[in-house]
Amino acid sequence: MARFLAVSNRKGGVGKSTIAVMLAHAAAAWSRQRVLVIDLDTQCNASLMLVGGLGWERAGRAGRTIADYFFDRFDKVAEDESAYVLKDVGDVAHARGAPGRLCLLPGSQRLEDLQGELLLRHSKKDLDADAIAVQVRGRMKRLIRHFGMDFDVVILDCPPGLSFAALAALDLADHVIVPFRPDFVSQFALDRVALLIERVETAEQLAGIAFSERRYSCLANYLSGTGHERLLIDQLALDHPLLAARIPRLESIARAFDWEETRQTMEQKYADAAPYLRALHDELLGVPQLRAASA
Amino acid sequence: MGKKTKALSGASQDAYFRRVLKTQLELKVEDRDRLVSKLREDIAQLRLRKHGSADSKPLPSPPPSAALPPPFDPFSPNVVVVVRTSGRDAALAALGRIDNAEHLRLLAREQRLTVSSDSSSVEDLRAAIVTAAERRIANRFAAAG
Repeated sequence: MARFLAVSNRKGGVGKSTIAVMLAHAAAAWSRQRVLVIDLDTQCNASLMLVGGLGWERAGRAGRTIADYFFDRFDKVAEDESAYVLKDVGDVAHARGAPGRLCLLPGSQRLEDLQGELLLRHSKKDLDADAIAVQVRGRMKRLIRHFGMDFDVVILDCPPGLSFAALAALDLADHVIVPFRPDFVSQFALDRVALLIERVETAEQLAGIAFSERRYSCLANYLSGTGHERLLIDQLALDHPLLAARIPRLESIARAFDWEETRQTMEQKYADAAPYLRALHDELLGVPQLRAASA
Repeated sequence: MGKKTKALSGASQDAYFRRVLKTQLELKVEDRDRLVSKLREDIAQLRLRKHGSADSKPLPSPPPSAALPPPFDPFSPNVVVVVRTSGRDAALAALGRIDNAEHLRLLAREQRLTVSSDSSSVEDLRAAIVTAAERRIANRFAAAG
């Protein structure tokens, strides 16, 4: 069974999709894992990074997106979910015959509308709104879990908002990576997403959970090496588990996601960001849940 | 006519970087090592201009007596962290090592701890900084819930 790794933060612009795609490439190329990216964000950035605009549009026309999957299979017994998955995506070359591969369940701008449709569909039944919401989330979670049979790692790229799909993903995830920019507003976002992930309501309750027991770790992203960043990271480290790996603000990362038809090695694609990505990859594969998956 | 430049690479290039960086007194040893290592990674060969006969002379090391005090670091101590981990008195004690009012104002500004312009004495400034840190902590936890 795959391990489910969510990349989430309620704040936008912290690099969630970038980190999700970088990790997916790294797991497929460096540890030869079978990796699936599920794009739950209606911005669909992870999909665009992995198959380009045309590939994403084709997937939408063919009915092969996360919204189609939820809509088609919501009330049915899930079968042959692989029909929705685009295989061998991304622009990173793997060694010939290497088992590592990267697949994508593309995102859809219709996912938010679909959530409303599913709610309405179930509101006919004799249930209150909260119960319906729990039911829809629970079904989405089970539908996502079906992909666990065919992959070693499933990376869930979550949207910034709290859609049902995002909540289902957070509930399902074995571990959640929370990228953040070390600025004033980010600390509030981290505090809030931590409560959500750990299913507690107050900071005091959160403080009662040892770092080693938490389901999430925070990743400092877009670092430029200022004293302000150092200050804030030290403050955040009092309340949240932080990954030792950190990602600097690098032009090579921004450039890495210009869609390329030609395949490159990891080192070509990520250039001077490759060592930072390697550190992140190595550290995350050291997370017990993920290590178990790769054993 | 001889060459006007001289090429350095490998160990001699490293030695040159170290000599130059050693003259930057505010750099810590570990920062110096990190910079040398980064420069070594990025620069394959260095060409130095020859200045008469002085080109081969090593850069002079500063005499120990000329060492300047390290520049003031407005990010240390991290007042919010000290208040949270050790309390108000410990934060006041940590700030007690800073006697210069301008330095305290700079620290407050850089750590985004708002102090009133009425705080003129260093004691007042220290107390105002710690109070601002407490306010900041309270703000954060209020927002989390």
